[in-house]
Amino acid sequence: MKALTANRLSDGEVVFWNAGRWVERFADAELFSDDAALMEAEAQGKSQTTVVVDVYPIDLVEAEGIWAPLSYRERIRALGPTNHLHHGKQAEGGPVIEALQSASGAARSTGRVNLIKRK
Amino acid sequence: MYRYDTIDKEMLADRAAEFREQVARRLSGELTEDQFKPLRLMNGLYLQLHAYMLRVAIPYGSLNPTQMRKLAWIARTYDRGYGHFTTRTNLQFHWIKLKDAPDILDHLASVDMHAIQTSGNCIRNVTADPYAGATAEEVDDPRVWAEAIRQWSTFHPEFSFLPRKFKIAITAAPKDRTAARVHDIGLVLKRARDGSLGFEVIVGGGMGRTPHIGPTIREFLPVNRLMSYLEAILRVYNRHGRRDNIYKARIKILVAALGVEEFTRQVEAEWAKIGDGADLPDTELARIRGAFARTGFKSLPAQSEALEAAKAADPAFARFVRNNLKPHKKPGYGIVEISLKAIGETPGDATADQMDVVADLAERYGQDDIRVTHEQNLVLPHVKLDDVPAVWAALREAGLATPNINLVSDIIACPGLDYCALANARAIPVAQHIAEKFRDESRAELVGELKVKISGCINACGHHHIGHIGILGVDKKGEEFYQLTLGGSGAEDASLGTILGPALPYDRVADAVDTLVDVYLRERVDGERFLDTFRRTGVAPFKEAVYADAH
Repeated sequence: MKALTANRLSDGEVVFWNAGRWVERFADAELFSDDAALMEAEAQGKSQTTVVVDVYPIDLVEAEGIWAPLSYRERIRALGPTNHLHHGKQAEGGPVIEALQSASGAARSTGRVNLIKRK
Repeated sequence: MYRYDTIDKEMLADRAAEFREQVARRLSGELTEDQFKPLRLMNGLYLQLHAYMLRVAIPYGSLNPTQMRKLAWIARTYDRGYGHFTTRTNLQFHWIKLKDAPDILDHLASVDMHAIQTSGNCIRNVTADPYAGATAEEVDDPRVWAEAIRQWSTFHPEFSFLPRKFKIAITAAPKDRTAARVHDIGLVLKRARDGSLGFEVIVGGGMGRTPHIGPTIREFLPVNRLMSYLEAILRVYNRHGRRDNIYKARIKILVAALGVEEFTRQVEAEWAKIGDGADLPDTELARIRGAFARTGFKSLPAQSEALEAAKAADPAFARFVRNNLKPHKKPGYGIVEISLKAIGETPGDATADQMDVVADLAERYGQDDIRVTHEQNLVLPHVKLDDVPAVWAALREAGLATPNINLVSDIIACPGLDYCALANARAIPVAQHIAEKFRDESRAELVGELKVKISGCINACGHHHIGHIGILGVDKKGEEFYQLTLGGSGAEDASLGTILGPALPYDRVADAVDTLVDVYLRERVDGERFLDTFRRTGVAPFKEAVYADAH
């Protein structure tokens, strides 16, 4: 399972793709099990050059029945810094946030690796 | 401190206006991200994990209270109420919006501040001794030269697109508080037997993925020839630096590849061609020097009865004095170090309220002078010893009186994976866990000087190579691991750390540091520092203790 992420151009906010628009919460992200659909969304997302930057897919892993980003880096992006738990998206709380906080799993997102290569 | 003149102020206003237009063009789509990125980086604006980060320049780590209050105001207005002081003596705001950045640059310019030379392949903000103008150890005030280098290097057309970034450190004291030997150029002011002043010129030091202790290429450069000599070094680097490979582009690689002798020969040949036309006229140097002349000192007795009485009355204050108060060149004055390493807090972070407190104290007790150290602390360089108890009380009220300067909990840590787009692992929580182990102030003092430095990736912003204990975060298949090195030093006895052994998982690092300290306490003799003991015993006893479980 995968999701599509980016940073919003105007403020740098971490955003996730959902059916043609960008949402702030990982809980609201569209989940892709189909590579073709993901590629199409990625192409569409990348064309929105005045809305987002650094569009890339992230790998997900199941954590307590909820899909969570596989890599630690992506979980920090989806949550916020671990030294200020009241900053970032984690401040809102809720079951998905809690699941992300307790998730484990260890691999770089393949999409991110591609992004690094591109740079 | 140096006051910006009309030219400086016009430059800042123009620069802010130019960036406002560039941001508008990016937001409208007229500029692509690839076109815009180098422009925003030239204004210190990076895109990190959660938001944009604005790196504000604090030239040679020197601030006045008005500037500090402006930083506090920006932190409150545009960020989340705090800022992060860095190992480059700059300040980073971690929650900036692109659309706010032009307004922030305007506000910074209103107090003679900016984000120039905080990014890009130019000559970056110069590091100077944070005790400059205050310590009796120095042979001259290094800020005079740091300011001259700032004026010379800002927007220098020949050196704005170097093969890679370029960092200069300058000190005038034998005790090096600038890490001069791990800078691209380190300058150490010295006085010759005939009384003349000159620079020892060190070139090709650095950290990152290929750390080098810089060799000295000239033992004594007459001070009035500094600018032409810097120009010669930069020119040789600009000509031969590896632009084809980012990992080999720093001057340290060039110096190592050519060899010190050949590199020096080329610099000297270039210097002969340049002649003294590029040097600073004595009149201009005198003008700059005048800006740092301090007249506000009073004639005071060397010992302060108020200070001694407060020490006798309060052991907590006595501990602060032992660790955070340093000798001043003027009798009756002291240098107060303000630790930004409160136990459990983020190293280098200051809240907006704390910034305001420091500004108030500098104004009331510190001759309007504030410094930032490369070890991520602040300094009030000129405080009357009589006033130290009042300064301490105000700092304590603000959570800024941690008495741990140079102790094991005075840890350098980069922002790491909690913020930085380049990081592989977190640095801040590792620092917090280690500091917690030494919450007992008596134990920390018993351990004595111990410099722990943590980087979240090989770029080494956290200076791990030169930590007495260095910690490098690495990514092992997406999991955070930490490689420990021992025996590094960024001081006058500079050295690079030796790898202890296989990398440790996140939750074992603080315990490992605790174990290393226990080994040191067991092994040390005759008042040795951790570093001295390590240099005497070698890595074996430390390695054995940390990896005992593995056997």
